[in-house]
Amino acid sequence: MKVPQLTVEQVAVVIPMASDIQEVDRGGQKIVFSGIIDGRKYALKFMAPNPSQVGGQNSEFLDDVTSRAQREVETMQQCSTPYLVGMGPVGLNTTDIAGDPIIYFSEEFVEGQNLRAYLQSNGVFSVPELIRLAFHMSEAIKSIWQFSKIHRDIKPGNIMRRNDNGDFVLLDMGLVFDLQDESLSVCPVGTPLYFSPEQMDFNNRRTIMNFRSDLFSLGTVMYEMVTGRHPFTQGATTTWDVLGNIANAVPQPPMTLRQELPEKLSDVIMRLLAKRPALRYRSIELFQRALREVETEGGLQ
Amino acid sequence: MSLLAQCGYGRGGKIEQGLNDGVIHGVIMSPRDERRGRLEQDIGNWGNSHPNALVMFDPQFYAATLNNPRDGHLSEFDYYNNNSGLGRTHFSGTRIQSYVKECLDYQHQTFGSNLAYLISPTILFDAFRDSWSQIALNMAVESADYHSNLNSPQPLLISLVISETAFQTMDAVEEFLDALTEIDTQGFYIILRRNSASVQNAMESAPFGRFMYFCHVLTTINEYDVIVGYSDWHSFLLEAAGVTHTATGWYQNLRQFSLARFQPSSGGRRPRKRYPSAPLMSCPLINPELQDIYMANLLPRVLSGSSHDAILQNGPASGEANWSDEISCLAHWYSLNALSQRLSVLPTQSGRIQEAERLMQNALTLYTQLSSQNVSFDPSTGPDHIREWQDSLQEFRGLAGL
Repeated sequence: MKVPQLTVEQVAVVIPMASDIQEVDRGGQKIVFSGIIDGRKYALKFMAPNPSQVGGQNSEFLDDVTSRAQREVETMQQCSTPYLVGMGPVGLNTTDIAGDPIIYFSEEFVEGQNLRAYLQSNGVFSVPELIRLAFHMSEAIKSIWQFSKIHRDIKPGNIMRRNDNGDFVLLDMGLVFDLQDESLSVCPVGTPLYFSPEQMDFNNRRTIMNFRSDLFSLGTVMYEMVTGRHPFTQGATTTWDVLGNIANAVPQPPMTLRQELPEKLSDVIMRLLAKRPALRYRSIELFQRALREVETEGGLQ
Repeated sequence: MSLLAQCGYGRGGKIEQGLNDGVIHGVIMSPRDERRGRLEQDIGNWGNSHPNALVMFDPQFYAATLNNPRDGHLSEFDYYNNNSGLGRTHFSGTRIQSYVKECLDYQHQTFGSNLAYLISPTILFDAFRDSWSQIALNMAVESADYHSNLNSPQPLLISLVISETAFQTMDAVEEFLDALTEIDTQGFYIILRRNSASVQNAMESAPFGRFMYFCHVLTTINEYDVIVGYSDWHSFLLEAAGVTHTATGWYQNLRQFSLARFQPSSGGRRPRKRYPSAPLMSCPLINPELQDIYMANLLPRVLSGSSHDAILQNGPASGEANWSDEISCLAHWYSLNALSQRLSVLPTQSGRIQEAERLMQNALTLYTQLSSQNVSFDPSTGPDHIREWQDSLQEFRGLAGL
């Protein structure tokens, strides 16, 4: 899998309606530019498909990169919530640049910082800020789950805090998993540090993974954002150690690391981090109700 | 939590009296034991005479998988009669849809708002990982789906009939809970199938502790309504676990569920008369056990406090003739209710657990005191069951982290 080598000039040729094009990010599989279209700024994402993976460019099967892009675009088109990144005016397209096939599409450009950067520059979240994050991400998870899908990659790097209003937005639907779609791979994907225990249960994941897996990952993010510490990295020196901790270790309740935290909020986070899905929240509404109780009892409304 | 009457054969006037006395708060009807016409009429009447009573109809569809069951009047009900004698191969997706539809349509169309809940059909299973348990789950999911399109104002309870042996393996319990809590329903109606039909208060402690945990995860954690049928003296422990309602009937086979209820009767003589003692958490024989307690001047210590106690207060042996089946049943409900009330008034689960522990310790102390006065008990009435319950509660506390 390779990152497409593209210049601003080549992007301008592929998407002629875009102006003020700038490279903003280069990841493992994609290169992202920003550009102005009809007066609004969008992210322009380019990926190189991997035809060798499925027997050539003319194969009827899709390679991973193309499948991911399709999932991402389809999910953005289906879901309508301000807490999930939205689709831009350029739909999923393919083109050829210097003989190499390229897939591209546009999405909303979120001006802000991801939580990883935010934590580094601003320190741990206040309680109201954490509850706000929890509400916004639960709305995002609910929106995806409406279509029997789960995100599978909720982590600080995939959550942006908007500069203009402080809202949180979940990015990168490339790993979204559709429980109804038999054709999609059930291989373990995502970021191991933020896996749920059932995400590692390679033999049984289709039957037991649902939105409660995303709730576990959100619990890991909440724990980290409010304590400054990942709940499962204590004593771990390898990824396998972390995975072992996720499966077996009970982290210290957040309130023992930060004493001013309301006990109820600490309990909510610990419940999200329960090993068994049945011990988390069986609906987003119950989770949100628990958050409102934290707000009410703490006079935070 | 409140107590419901688990109905069976020989209902008589017990239900009316129990509802009027306030010792039961509802009824679970048994189509096996009632003529269809009378059952439908009575459910309609209760809707008028006791509008606040929780009236339910257990479809007992599970009998359709038994070999030559003694299924009484069940054959008068189309949802059962059309589908009896079912083997494992009779549970394809399409056939499950049909069973669910017939069963829920019957309740919805016949009883309407006179039922507090609709109850889904189910089958029995012995282990959480066997193919029957998967069929039960499929029926549960199908029932929830069908009910969501039924536009019924009555919420749905998913019914489950689980063998006590299923609770031997904790991993399997947790896996099943993961699957069960994916279902969008108001709650569950659960029957724990005992292996023995004999008078035996205690189940093996670890499996019952796990059953308590099973109920706790459904109620306290996931906020489903949970009604446990055939629960008898276990009711107060289930109250500590957070169960919404329990149900108990008048015969032994309505107090704990076993397959004997659906097998040919072995006959036998009428059971000897017993007194339901809340302080002892068991039913000593009126003669000689309660009479011996009376002779030791300790009768007031074991009486539950109902108005019916007056019959026995001046000598259980002499009052025994007036201790009718109906009075015995009403006194039994009174005693179970009294124990549950001790717990239900407490605001926290940890408080309820502590109270359950205290009640059990008091019962053991009372047994010791009676023993010191040379009162001896039959093994079925002695204190062994309370020690098992104490162990069950410990098992539950450990699992639930309480």
